[in-house]
Amino acid sequence: MDIEALLNEIKNQSLAILGENYNGIEADLKKDISKFLQKSKEKLERWALLFADNSIDKDEFEWLIKSQQDLMVLQSLQTAGLSKIKLNKIKNSIISATVKAIILSL
Amino acid sequence: MKKAILIILTVLLSCQATKTALFDQYSYQKTTELKVETVNLIDKSTTAFADNKVAVEKLHLDIEKLIEYEKNKPNNELTFAMWQILNDKEKNLLAGFFKRWEQKGKMSAIFVSEAKKQIIEGMDLLIQFEIKKDQTSKDNLLNFINLNK
Repeated sequence: MDIEALLNEIKNQSLAILGENYNGIEADLKKDISKFLQKSKEKLERWALLFADNSIDKDEFEWLIKSQQDLMVLQSLQTAGLSKIKLNKIKNSIISATVKAIILSL
Repeated sequence: MKKAILIILTVLLSCQATKTALFDQYSYQKTTELKVETVNLIDKSTTAFADNKVAVEKLHLDIEKLIEYEKNKPNNELTFAMWQILNDKEKNLLAGFFKRWEQKGKMSAIFVSEAKKQIIEGMDLLIQFEIKKDQTSKDNLLNFINLNK
């Protein structure tokens, strides 16, 4: 079983889903996705071993792999949300600093 | 007087600029409760689904109620989207797990153990996101306090 190919497939499919809706925050997304894939590799290897020794069947193995793909989309949505929060904090800081400067000059 | 107007203006501008919903105690509490109920039911999935059908249906209903609440909250699209994935029976997380349990009747302990970790991770992402929203609300409050010093 080629774990690397499986990871790439999960990554590409998730990026394709997210790319349409969350442009502009790709840098954050790609960073999080890389971290997530590292964690995913460990899981996929464990599931592959469980499948190989018949502890789980093919159907269960596939279910778990798909669940990891769904988790990746969830992770990406969370990253997108955190990026928005970060951006808004910067905007708010700029507004506050500007108005504070106006107040001090009065 | 001018200062007061400017302070009010600042707070208003800060609120308008916040495009993500602020931390919501109700969402956090309900999501945490639903996570505990979900894990409790997952642990029973090595037994017959028929014996737990009522409890699973109640969980689905409670989730639907919270999703409806999240859907109608302003600037809350991402939390709503995350819930939709967790609650999609065609996907392989929360609702997908219970659909599978219903179809199979009962599930193997090893599969349940692995699937449970996946579902917990998904719900934790949602809970952690809600907690992170708290920072924005705290910052707005701190800005307001600092400007009034």
